[in-house]
Amino acid sequence: MEKMKILLTLSFILSLTATGWSQDFSKNITTAKNSYAGGNLEDARFAMEQMLNDIDMVIGREVLKMLPAKMETFTSNPKNDNVAANTGLAGVAIHRDYGTGEKILNLDLMSNSPIVASINAILSIPFMGNSGDGTQKIIKVEGYKAILQKSVDAESSKTNYTLQIPIGATLLTFTAPDTNEEDVIRMANLIPISQITKLVE
Amino acid sequence: MNIKFLSACLVAVLFTFSSSGQGFVNKLRQKADEAAAKALEKKAKEKAGIDDAQTDDTNSNRPSGSSSKNANRPSNKGGGGLISTPPDVKQHLADAETSYKSGSYGEARYAVQQAMLGVEMEIGKKVLEALPASVSGLDKLEEADQVTSAGYGWSGLTIHREYLKDDKELRATIANNSAWMSAVNMYMANGGYAQTTNGEQNWKQVKVKGHKAIIEYDDNSGYKLSVPLGQTSLIVWEGVNFESEQEMMSAANSFDIDGIKNMLGEK
Repeated sequence: MEKMKILLTLSFILSLTATGWSQDFSKNITTAKNSYAGGNLEDARFAMEQMLNDIDMVIGREVLKMLPAKMETFTSNPKNDNVAANTGLAGVAIHRDYGTGEKILNLDLMSNSPIVASINAILSIPFMGNSGDGTQKIIKVEGYKAILQKSVDAESSKTNYTLQIPIGATLLTFTAPDTNEEDVIRMANLIPISQITKLVE
Repeated sequence: MNIKFLSACLVAVLFTFSSSGQGFVNKLRQKADEAAAKALEKKAKEKAGIDDAQTDDTNSNRPSGSSSKNANRPSNKGGGGLISTPPDVKQHLADAETSYKSGSYGEARYAVQQAMLGVEMEIGKKVLEALPASVSGLDKLEEADQVTSAGYGWSGLTIHREYLKDDKELRATIANNSAWMSAVNMYMANGGYAQTTNGEQNWKQVKVKGHKAIIEYDDNSGYKLSVPLGQTSLIVWEGVNFESEQEMMSAANSFDIDGIKNMLGEK
């Protein structure tokens, strides 16, 4: 019963926030239209930048709804869920993490990421993607090409993995500490990449 | 034991000779084949009435790696090119609203970006119109006027104009809303351009119509004067074959810097 109350309160807060963003978008589009009609180009542009911000925030929240609440045995930490719109240098940044203590899995999405181009270059040249020492390889997750990087911590000797999947101009990064390749790939396959793609692109 | 060793050596030498001999025979056979093929080709050409020089010419004109099929393809002699159509701002704003309401956020984002691109192109055009038609006796190069915008992102809006007379040239570039501008401003505010009294002075801080600026000089490229405008804009003049710093400064002073700043919405 207590859990039910918490869930209801959370969904109410989320719906209120979504309404807030929606109102901002409506307000900004009205400003953009009026400013443009009145020949005030700079104000029109500023209002449009705000609109992009509003859209990015809504996209971020929708993506968070799509992400799994659990990654196998790791439960998400809703209080760490984050959406940040940075119109300009990069687009929207979305974050969710799973697990507790030292074993925390991080899932990050960044639209208009400046490093997407270099990752795509690696993916398109076959001999560049796979390193001879086994620290980097190209894999496929839900049909999307991705770079999987392995690193061994010098102090703890634990093996950590980083998976990078470019989706158009958006970069999805999944990091998993102290694990193995099979587990990382299995968990990555829980991410609804196709659905996210439809929303962010 | 010695006999065995000697006979083994003899066999090895014989093998070597026989293999090199075979190589020689193969080369001879190859040469003979080539000569026969050439003779046959010549006969065939004679019968068909094809001139040798003509064939060589066709081969030399063909790009390497292309098939004979491509040799007869027509090459483009010109066309209308692409029509420069700035995005329809009103239409894109209407599209953005519809897409947003229907939950197609990706489409809404694209429409807003297109609308922004349209507005930026208009801002750029307005700024170009406000720039002087001639500066220090140099007339503007109409065809060099350029407004570049990505609609969004780090590159922002860039407006470019060139003035030219004989070997003297002035290039004016205005960058607006670009992310790297904050870095330039920070550099200036923190005294990144520290001035020295010894050695060759290639740059220094100056003021253009009350605005803080940096003037640089390079023997190969000439003078360069940069003035940050407000928070996110910058105007840069590059003068080629300008006689002195004063001449460069007076050229920059003929621009309405405050007017440009206002048009770009800078405070």
